[in-house]
Formats: sequence, structure tokens, C-alpha cells
Amino acid sequence: MRGETMTSTERTWAATRLEKTDRVPVVPFLSPEPAAHLAGMTMAQASNDAKIAAMAFFKVFDDCGGWDCAYGGPITPVQSQAANIYPMKMRIPGKDLPDDYVFQLLEEEVMKPEDYEKLCEMGADAFYYEDYLWRIASFRPDELQTHLWETLTNWGSYTEELKKRKIEPFLAAHELHPFFRLSLMRSMIPFTKDIYYNPAPVERAMKKMTAELIPKQIGVCKAFGMKSWLFVDERASGVNYPLSVFERFWWPYTQEIVDAFWSEGITTIFHLDTCWNKNLPYFRKLPKGSAVVGLDSTTNIFLAKEILRDHLCIYGDVPASLLSLGKPEEVTAYCRKLIDEVGKGGGFILGTGCATPPNCISENFKAMVATGKSYELGNN
Amino acid sequence: MNSDLAAAIVELRRDEVLAEIKSRMAGGQDPLRTLEECRQGMATVGERFQKGDYFLAELMLSAEIFKEAMTIIQPHLAKSRPTKPLAKVVLATLKGDIHNLGKDIMATLLEAHGFEVHDLGVDVPPSLVLAKVREIKPQFVGFSALITTAFPYMREAAEMMREAGIRQEIKLMIGGGVTTAMTKECVGADFQTTDAMEGVAYCLNEMEGRKR
Repeated sequence: MRGETMTSTERTWAATRLEKTDRVPVVPFLSPEPAAHLAGMTMAQASNDAKIAAMAFFKVFDDCGGWDCAYGGPITPVQSQAANIYPMKMRIPGKDLPDDYVFQLLEEEVMKPEDYEKLCEMGADAFYYEDYLWRIASFRPDELQTHLWETLTNWGSYTEELKKRKIEPFLAAHELHPFFRLSLMRSMIPFTKDIYYNPAPVERAMKKMTAELIPKQIGVCKAFGMKSWLFVDERASGVNYPLSVFERFWWPYTQEIVDAFWSEGITTIFHLDTCWNKNLPYFRKLPKGSAVVGLDSTTNIFLAKEILRDHLCIYGDVPASLLSLGKPEEVTAYCRKLIDEVGKGGGFILGTGCATPPNCISENFKAMVATGKSYELGNN
Repeated sequence: MNSDLAAAIVELRRDEVLAEIKSRMAGGQDPLRTLEECRQGMATVGERFQKGDYFLAELMLSAEIFKEAMTIIQPHLAKSRPTKPLAKVVLATLKGDIHNLGKDIMATLLEAHGFEVHDLGVDVPPSLVLAKVREIKPQFVGFSALITTAFPYMREAAEMMREAGIRQEIKLMIGGGVTTAMTKECVGADFQTTDAMEGVAYCLNEMEGRKR
């Protein structure tokens, strides 16, 4: 039996740099609703009050004896919409849905074909705040500044609480890939039609969005003193689109963005849902250690290890179905397999596939965290 | 594939497909034959998807073309002799989950392959599924989920059908990004997939098996 020789922060960032760690870092993605469920609160409470969401997060964290880095901060759906994180209409528990429902986004064609040009003329952020937001908003225009201010102040108190527990946030800046953002705003089928039948406006918009995203989010990282940021895509994978689409509409923008952040010493944390098996080789073209590839359990994480070994850190991927339906011993067995095979040689962070599910079984969540913290040290 | 119309669907030439169908219907051509050609095109799209040559994008776009084609053909079909569906399918996203994208894609693909689809929508209580199954006696029931909170309701619906003595008469399918073999076992489903076309192929194979 060995003891830990690194702090949580040292361990997490060493893993992203592909360096040897004393044990695998454990960083479950725990958003407010599953945190509320695990803490014995309702989804409605956490979805409508960020302070309650924070309390839920820290209760779960403390009950588990902690983990290595905080992924999934206390932000309500409305605040996320105000902060331009979710560009979709939403249904919120306690308001539009029963208290025990998880908050959900509506797949709807809100952005129209003519809006591509509007977005290019106005700029992506101006288009969102001066026009698009008011087609989807779950709040009134006069409430916007309040929501943004509360988001900022909550972040401050949240990071203070993290400091007391000697851990850091995994990220502060959070952005959707321009491809994914447009797919959500247009909705998936109309966006796919745009790509196949009228691609020029899509490309113009993506160039504009990329040019805005880079300085904006690098600025956010610097303002918060963060050395990582979250970059999300759940739709561009090789199960949904052929590599010809990926190579034209996704990869060049991705490379440009990751390179720009890396040149500032900022690591990109990818949150990649759906199956990216066919796309994995492209990620080797990114600078070594410049990104963490987060997988949701539909991508074959063992294949990802083979392809990205010694090049990029991998994050994941305890499946949502296992956490919500399985037994603790099954969770432990899967985590051990991940640590043995994906963790071999370093460059691995143990986490959830996508996010902790809203009906996660508490014992399963604890088994995941405990296995990560103790297995390599010979304590279980 | 043996017609230009089918080929145009496979190659996603939407405008050409719709113009051809409009012209045929205006000229009084057999709507059933035209429908069959459209289905041939969709079958080829499905084959290409299963071989890995096509992706969800092509499935969605061809299904959209098929849907538009059907709106032109349907009024003429109504005047013609009735068509017998391959089988009946009840689809639903169950209680707790209001996502519809995966289910809608599955519904369109099933219709394009000759199935009669009864889409109950989203946030559906298990009791409604049972009532619909009793009413229309489908060969298949499919549940779609994007979030894990739908799992207990899938199990509840399966249990209700079992208690009602009708579970063995249907094939129960579950699908969606969060479903796994473990979900299938827990629900007691006959089939699980994260791939809509695989679901259609399952239904086609089952119906083929019943013919033998």
C-alpha cells in the first residue's frame, strides 16, 4: 500500500501533460441536477438556484471524501442561456417540468437560413445578444444583466469553496464548437441540409465565429487565471457525418482554435459525445499535450488509447447506463479496466462518460471515485 | 436499384426527385409503383449506411426527401387501392424525457421502409403505451431515450405489457445514445441500438423471419 505523493492539482495537470502521476486523477463531471439527486435535493431546486446547486456539489464532494478537480460548476440553465452556453429553448424543472425532471433543451429550428448572413454582419456575439437570445430566452431582457452578474459572483464563491478543499476548477471558459453551435441553433436536420445543399453561408458563419471565439475565450481564461477551457461537440462525429464533411467543416476550425489556445499555454478539454472512432487519428495532428480528449463511452476509449497514446490525454468514460443501472462492483471493475488499459503509461483522467447521469446511484458514484483514488495505490 | 427515381433519392437530388414525382402524378402514373421506387432508393441508402459508405447525415436527408415525396404521392394513393404495411410499430420517448430527434429519425426511416408508425410523442407515460399496444396490436414497440431517467419507465412499460399478457406478441426495441446492453437487460427488451438504421434492419429481419 502506497500513499499519495502529489496534490490533486499536480496530479491533474501532470496527466494532461502526459507525465507520470502517483495515481490516476479522478474528475467526474457533476452538473447541478445529478448533484442535487445525489445530495437528496430536487432537480428543480438545483436548476433554479445556483447557490443550492453549489451546496449539492460540495455535499456530494465531501461525502465522497473529495476528488481531484471540479468539473461542472453551479450554474443554472437560465444563467447558462444568459452566458451564451446553451443556444436553445429550454424546459426547466420547477417551471416548465415537474420538480424531479432533469432540465432539457428543445431541438427546434430557431435560427433561419437568412440568419447566417445576419450573424456574419453583426458578429456572433452581437447576433446572440441583440437578436437570437430573445427568440429562445427563458427570462426577460431586463433580467439579463442580473443573471450574468449572479453567474460571475457565484463563480467567485464557488472557487473560494474549492480552494478550501485544495482543488481547482477543471475549466472556466466553456464554448461549443461553431459546427455544434450552428447545428443546435438551426437544429440538426436543417443544418445538415445547409451543409449539403448550401454550404457557403455555413462556412462564412463558421469563419466569423472562429475568429471571434479565439480572442474572447482566451481572454476569459486569462481573466480567471485558467490554463484550460472546455470545447464541446456532440454532433460532428464520424457516425453522423462522412469524413469529407468533418475535414471541411470541423477539423480546420478545430486545429486553428486548439493551436491558438496552445500558443497561449492553454489546454483544450474536448467534450466529445457520440462515436468518434473514425475521427480519432486526426487528433494526433494536434500539438502533443495540447488537449484532453473527453469521451462519453460511445467512442471506443480503448481504441482512443491505441491511437492517441503518448500524444494526448484521454478523459472518461464510465457509462451513464452503468452509473444509473449497474452495481458498485460492476462500476469498480470497469474503472479498474480503464485504469489498467487506458491509464497504462499515463495520460488518463478517470471521469464520467459525458456527465454523471441525473439518476446516478449514489453507491455507484462513490465506487467510481473510490476506485480511482485507491486502486493504483493498492488500497482496494 | 433499377430506376432513375430511386437513384436520385440515393444521391440526395431532392429537387429532381420532387419534380419527377409531381410530373408522374400529374400524368396519372401509378402512385404505388412510384412509391415502390422511392422505397427502393431508401433501401439502397440503408444498405450503404450498413456498409459504412453512408452516415446518419445521408439517412436523415434521404428520409426528408422521402417524407416530401410522400406528401405528393399520398393523395393519389388514397384514390388507388390501399397498401398493406409491412408491420405496425409504436414509438415513444417515455416519461421524464422530452427529446424527440432520435425517435423522429427512426419513425421516418421505418415509414420509408414500409412500416406503419404510431408515434406517441415525448414524455409518454407507460400506461399510454399499453393502451396503444392493446388498441392497434403492433408487431414492434420502440422506446427512444437521450437521458437515463427514461430507463425505469421503459422497464415499467415492459412490465405492464407482460402483466397484460401481450409482451410475447411484440418485439420490444430500445434505442438512443445512453442505452447499452445493460439497459436492454434491465428493461427486458429484445433489441437495443444507438443506430436508427440498425433498428430498421432489425424490424425488416424479424418480418423476413416470420415469412419463412
